[in-house]
Amino acid sequence: MSNGSEQRLSGIVSILFGAIMLGYGFLIRSGSLNWLLAYLKTQKEADLQVTLCFVLGGLGILVGLIYLVRKPTGSILDNYVLGPAPGMMMLLLICMVILWYMEPMINIWSAAAAPTLKFSFAKIFNLNHVVLGILVGILITNTIGIPKFAAQGVKTARFVLKMGIITLGARYSLAELTNLGQISIWMIGFFVVGTVLLVLWLGKLFDTPHSMTGVLSSGMGVCGVSAAVACAPVVKAKSHEMAYTIGTILLWGVGCMFLFPTIGKILDMTPTQFGSWAGTGILNSAQVAAAALAFNAVDITTLKVAEIFNITRVLFLPLIVLILAYWFSKVTGDTSGRKLSLKEVVVDKFPLFVLGFILMFVLSSAGVFGPAQHYQGKYLDFSYSKRTEITPEELQALGAFIAVPENVQKLSDKEKSALNDLNTQHQIAGDFASKNDSKLFYAQGKERMETIEAMVAAKKIKDKKAEGALKHAVKQVYKDSKTITLLTDLMMWFFAYGLLGLGMQITWSSISQAGGAPLIIGAISGTAKAVLSLIVVLLLIKEAI
Amino acid sequence: MEEEKAQPTTTRNAASMEERALSVFQSERNEDLTAMIMTFLCTFIVLVFTKWI
Repeated sequence: MSNGSEQRLSGIVSILFGAIMLGYGFLIRSGSLNWLLAYLKTQKEADLQVTLCFVLGGLGILVGLIYLVRKPTGSILDNYVLGPAPGMMMLLLICMVILWYMEPMINIWSAAAAPTLKFSFAKIFNLNHVVLGILVGILITNTIGIPKFAAQGVKTARFVLKMGIITLGARYSLAELTNLGQISIWMIGFFVVGTVLLVLWLGKLFDTPHSMTGVLSSGMGVCGVSAAVACAPVVKAKSHEMAYTIGTILLWGVGCMFLFPTIGKILDMTPTQFGSWAGTGILNSAQVAAAALAFNAVDITTLKVAEIFNITRVLFLPLIVLILAYWFSKVTGDTSGRKLSLKEVVVDKFPLFVLGFILMFVLSSAGVFGPAQHYQGKYLDFSYSKRTEITPEELQALGAFIAVPENVQKLSDKEKSALNDLNTQHQIAGDFASKNDSKLFYAQGKERMETIEAMVAAKKIKDKKAEGALKHAVKQVYKDSKTITLLTDLMMWFFAYGLLGLGMQITWSSISQAGGAPLIIGAISGTAKAVLSLIVVLLLIKEAI
Repeated sequence: MEEEKAQPTTTRNAASMEERALSVFQSERNEDLTAMIMTFLCTFIVLVFTKWI
């Protein structure tokens, strides 16, 4: 095909994709697809869908028209905007299908199957936009292949993925670490760094490529899929290496999820011990929660402790990114036969985008995007506000419940006090007298909230209306930072786009070439971590942390 | 000795060329810098609309 006809095709394709987006935007705006959005539970996203479709569709048509009337000159505009545009439009259209249709559909099927399976398969297998993006990409490239007009656009995937990783930094805050217990920080830190180093050593032993070892170490050491995605460009991992690592992590996690509760029960572990162990040894957050609930669904301590350990582990991600960036610069430098100086490793070879990730993490920790003590954009706010209060009907139901002595006689003093305080203050809060001492006020509010959460989990409140009031009261103190929520939405798009494009670079042959080494290394390091953490937990952790 | 030194360099060049072939950017530094600038621009816009307006 001549250059002229290729250019015409690219122009027509851009206009076509743009028109599809605009058409879909108009359909959503007219309300004719409301029934579908209601079924998929995505009505809240209707405005976003319309805006994105109008903006991106309009841009697609504009680019298509420029293609048809202008000859490429090899300028920056041609290389970085017009050239990749048709492929970018294609990726964006597929991302819309993944984020607006595939992910919600899988969540609906997963929820429908949950009563039979006793777990949510979407959460356990991490079937979110990240994994779906890779899978769809692999499927496209190995069936219909990448169309010629899209080849240049697919090459923007890694760049966009890096934007997602930089944005990921906004979701974590150093201040969250200060809220956690000393033991959990030291223990998790030891296991995270220890597992990373163990995998790096095993990689050397099995002679696997540095890039594969690096990405596997982050996934096995920190928190699974997101850590593997964040560290992949740091160690220049190839697309199939990242996919292999994610597969290994998820498979390993599923095995642990079933095995851990059984071992915990055989060893007669306490809820705190099991929560600590599951939070350390299992990789994926949903799998940690599933194992904790399978071990003990009544006592909320197991789940809480497991979540604390899980959060602590994730917060080590920035440190691991730095360690891996340093390690990779050093090992790849050695291949030239000479040792690199510290300046060469840190200044010249250090991946620049990691600095962006760290800078976002620092800004987030400084409270630029939301209160500094947030975790993934969520934080507790006990300050007095009408918006935090429960409704008058709920208050009435709660008052009526407390007034009957039989209802509260089996509750502990702490539980009774939490209920009475909620009834008096209309919201979960600290003591009114200590409202000027923010630390004390926060601690009191948090303790009350946890007491109420535990009562609800243990089903101690038999009255449905009163129980509803308590659930609502807890929900009211969990606040979202608008900035971080929007940045997270952006990050989701960057990840879906980036991983879809990277998935398109994975062929079946590249996966089979990777061999079984990652699975073996994953299994060895995962087992070592699980066994060691079990011993440490049994020896060190008795009851409270 | 010369040959031994040349081989890893050639392998590295090949790896680097393979890596560039998978990106629209001519160097990794350009890719990283553009990603950083674009992300911080997006973040600034998000901050303007969610916090400062």
